[in-house]
Amino acid sequence: MGRYILKRVGYMLVTFYVVVTLTFLAMKMLPGTPFKFANRLTPEQLNQLKHYYGLDQPIPVQYVHYIWNMLHGDLGGSFQYGMQPVTEFLAQRFPISMQLGIESMIIGTILGIVLGIISGIYRGRFLDWGTVTLTVVFISIPSFIFAAILQYCFSVQIRIFPVIGWDTPMTHVLPVISIGVGVMASIARFMRTEMVEVLGQDYIITAQAKGLSTPAVIYKHAIRNAMIPIVTVIGPMTAAVVTGSLVIENIFAIPGIGSQFIDAIITNDYPMIMGTTELYAALFIVTIFIVDILYGVIDPRIRVSGGKPA
Amino acid sequence: MTTSNADVTKELFVPADLNDSVSEQISGESVSAWRDAIRRFVTNKGAMASMIIIFLIVVFAIIGPHFFGYGVDDQDVSRANLPPKIGALSWIPAFSGHEGGVDVYKEKKITKNYWFGTDQLGRDLWTRTWMGTQISLIIALIATLADVCIGVVYGGVSGYFGGMVDNVLQRILEIIAGIPSLVWIILLILILQPGLVTITIAILATSWLSMARIVRGEMLKLKNQEFVLASRTLGANDGRIIFKHLIPNSIGMIIINTMFSVPSAIFFEAFLSFIGLGIRSPQSSLGSLINDGYQMLQIHPYQTLYPGIIISLLLICFNIMGDGLRDAFDPKLRR
Repeated sequence: MGRYILKRVGYMLVTFYVVVTLTFLAMKMLPGTPFKFANRLTPEQLNQLKHYYGLDQPIPVQYVHYIWNMLHGDLGGSFQYGMQPVTEFLAQRFPISMQLGIESMIIGTILGIVLGIISGIYRGRFLDWGTVTLTVVFISIPSFIFAAILQYCFSVQIRIFPVIGWDTPMTHVLPVISIGVGVMASIARFMRTEMVEVLGQDYIITAQAKGLSTPAVIYKHAIRNAMIPIVTVIGPMTAAVVTGSLVIENIFAIPGIGSQFIDAIITNDYPMIMGTTELYAALFIVTIFIVDILYGVIDPRIRVSGGKPA
Repeated sequence: MTTSNADVTKELFVPADLNDSVSEQISGESVSAWRDAIRRFVTNKGAMASMIIIFLIVVFAIIGPHFFGYGVDDQDVSRANLPPKIGALSWIPAFSGHEGGVDVYKEKKITKNYWFGTDQLGRDLWTRTWMGTQISLIIALIATLADVCIGVVYGGVSGYFGGMVDNVLQRILEIIAGIPSLVWIILLILILQPGLVTITIAILATSWLSMARIVRGEMLKLKNQEFVLASRTLGANDGRIIFKHLIPNSIGMIIINTMFSVPSAIFFEAFLSFIGLGIRSPQSSLGSLINDGYQMLQIHPYQTLYPGIIISLLLICFNIMGDGLRDAFDPKLRR
């Protein structure tokens, strides 16, 4: 186990290093300049600006410089906001994205597990059929379309919720539903499969044979066992939700890193783009790592040293 | 268990017929794996309905843009923001050409019908929607090709040769998969100009990963089986074994996985176009149409509605068809 974790940490670092290098190289290959009104500046002024931001040095020097600063927790300053440190922006905006992601995950996961259990128990009946249809529809419809529908129905037509913003609890409802519905559907689908599989196991028959009531069998034996693999989907899904909430943040004007990212891309704010990309990548890599380790801890039947379970 | 042992007498037992020619006879018609899968697929109503809907969408995507002879970018501000109107269906409120209780067509003295309405520049949305659908379908095709050409080959080579080759290829794959695909795609879009080519490259670069993993797993499972040994004994080379024996045996898994990577590719293109990093005006894609319409959502909801319905239908149908194919090819997974 210890060796496995060490190996995984090694891969994590390599992956992260590759991401950093790739983003750095991508930034250097970008067309356009990060300076506003670049075409109105004289060459001298432009050179002065470049010198100020360290863009006149050879690329390898810039690269080493960047990595060195990064190891010291400095991701550079934003070109658009007068060299204000990127880390400051991220620290300010990331918690908002995280909050949106976590709220959606919690609601989506709980509803998804409940739906999946019901669907699995009533397999083949009308209730199950309804849930399965619903989940396919919810998995398929893109979150931004869902968000647009919700916004139109509940903010424009019936004015229950505010159209945009992120301050009062009421403003949280629509964005959280927009993301949570997809999470709910995926989890429900997965949970149903697991329930059906567990209910077909011999130990369920044993439990019934020794005279346990149906609710006891379902609660004590079926649900508990069926919940284990959910951990594997929750991890990558959290990462996907936090990165994917970009569009929802945009629609509901939530001041998270997603909207910041889009702004940075549009304005060629190199350090900001790199910082956000690296944050996304780090988040993704770490979640997947935690899930892999957790999976081995929760279910001793899985041999972690055998590699990632398929 | 009402009969006690005493009721079972010797006379109840009859010797079984041991005649070989009788017991070995195949009574039913023999069914190949393919025909079996097709038979199961055809009985799946949801999957068949989805296939028909996808087929219709494909047909409309091809012929739709030529219905009225408008180009994708034919602007005419005098006919801007017209609500949908279909002459024959004008008794349905959604297609009557009325908006807010006013017959906009009469007001602007327009005699032609615009089935999906027009946008703020007076471009015909029927034409633009189907042109956008074409983009989505092209993306679907590209994702399929990437899965089959890159994913199957990569996974096949990795799983079949094993050892050092496998180790290196898997490490590379692990690193590629460790980077969120959104980051990949955004980096590519930053370097290249946003557009169909960039999205194509991005999808080629990321969508084959899960396919490679699955095919590798299948290879590991199959390569030590007897029929492979038999083939090798008869002198088949590696290429022949991979392409004639191993891949055909995992074709079910390959088809299923392709069916699931198609909707995610379609979604990704729409997602990128929606945030303005994908297809850009004057070209249209379902994502960018939804984005354009979204700006007018409060006043003219129909501009978002039809592209939204079509992309949702496409994604739902591909997912249901994928489920149907999975049930058809792998009855073990049917739950």
